[in-house]
Amino acid sequence: MRNSDIAVSIKNLTKFYGDLKALDNVNFEVKRGDFFAFLGPNGAGKTTTINILTGLSNYNAGEVRVFGYNTTIEYQQTRRLLGLCAQEFNFDPFLTIHQLLVYQAGYFGITPGSASKRADELLARFQLTEKRNCKHRALSGGMKKRLLLCRALIHDPEVLILDEPTAGCDLELKYLIWDYLAQLNNEGKTIFLTTHNMEEAEKLCKTIGIINQGRIVRIGEKRAVLQDKSLEDVFLEVTGGE
Amino acid sequence: MLITNPVGVLSLSKREILRFISLANQTVFPPIVSSTLFMYIFGVALGSRIDFGLSGITYLGFIVPGLMTMHLISSSYENTSSSLFIARWHNHIQEVLLSPLSYFEMVLGLLAGGVARGVVVLLGVYVSSLIFTPIPIAHPFILTYFILMIAMIFSCAGMLGALWAEDFGMLSVWNVYLIIPLVLLGGVFHPIDMLPEPVQVLSQFNPMFYLVQGIRFSVTGMIQTSLVSCILVALIMALFSFYMAVYLFKIGYKLRV
Repeated sequence: MRNSDIAVSIKNLTKFYGDLKALDNVNFEVKRGDFFAFLGPNGAGKTTTINILTGLSNYNAGEVRVFGYNTTIEYQQTRRLLGLCAQEFNFDPFLTIHQLLVYQAGYFGITPGSASKRADELLARFQLTEKRNCKHRALSGGMKKRLLLCRALIHDPEVLILDEPTAGCDLELKYLIWDYLAQLNNEGKTIFLTTHNMEEAEKLCKTIGIINQGRIVRIGEKRAVLQDKSLEDVFLEVTGGE
Repeated sequence: MLITNPVGVLSLSKREILRFISLANQTVFPPIVSSTLFMYIFGVALGSRIDFGLSGITYLGFIVPGLMTMHLISSSYENTSSSLFIARWHNHIQEVLLSPLSYFEMVLGLLAGGVARGVVVLLGVYVSSLIFTPIPIAHPFILTYFILMIAMIFSCAGMLGALWAEDFGMLSVWNVYLIIPLVLLGGVFHPIDMLPEPVQVLSQFNPMFYLVQGIRFSVTGMIQTSLVSCILVALIMALFSFYMAVYLFKIGYKLRV
């Protein structure tokens, strides 16, 4: 990796959807090994930022880097370093969940033998081994969430990006995911989390960024952002909510 | 444009190839069955009564290369267009877009499925023709060239169609209203000089005419135009369609918002 200190660097990022300015000169950095919560109301620009970071969206101005690599020019390097757990269930309907993970690993250059082993490890870790040969349609919503995580982790990315990973999960699954994310972060992985769950962000994260109407309105280490207030209070204060 | 992630390309190619094999009743057998019926009805039952103005070849021998070309084209096109469009529709195209495959490699992986399906169907059509009459291949190396070029052209065209389409109805528009009519008018079932003179002139501007002629020459040794022009048309179309597919992936046309 070219720059080992800064995992994600976003400079002067601007994005329009037609006439709508979805991101307005966004600037922030996420350090290596950080657990970063990226918060904001619906439509604030969180998913747009994630999509630009991962290469799923184009942007109009600015620069995005992952460990020093430019996500547009050096996209092959940045994509190797990123794992995305998206909000929606978007799986190939023709494949079993084991095949799905093995192919996904293959796209990252992992040979079939190693990919199969890694897929089995992740399926076991997320209690999906019994469903190994099922297609994703046979899974419950919670299982699909876990499968999204398995897919994001299959190539052992340095930066894990999670777009509302526990939305719609029951308590047991939520705690399973939280424990695993904390473990990954302790192992040195950088976690970039968007969530509407303030408890989740406050419990897990070290750094917090809040975006509203396409602009960063508060960012910093958790203690500095909170200043003895609850995250919910800070969030409502800076986003103008009541 | 080198391949830097061969395992990735092979994985995507394998997925594309196994996808159409697992759906062989939809993807492989129907064109073989329909061409066999065409050969029987038009080649065997009616063929002896058709005076099509060429000596040294039966009507069945004449239409087999045309049918091979037609199904090579439609199978290659349908494979990539349906695979990519379904991937866009379900949004599992993100699996590929998030990967470190280069845009060149993404197109190459998808292309493998289209080429493989086209070749499998073409071989099936040829083998089924042997039921009715032996048709030795006159120029196997030239045939290989045309098969690969044509499969490449229409696999890439399928990707362009899949990127352009907004719904399943639009997906078949190019194939139904443009490609198939041009192929049929390009001389699959008739020598071009059977047509009225103005139509013959127009046919010179139909690129499918050169592709059909290329395959027919490779199989029978007969040609109604210059072989060099057929080779060049196939090469230019293949390079252009491949370049366009890679370009659209690069700019993220209907893939990235």
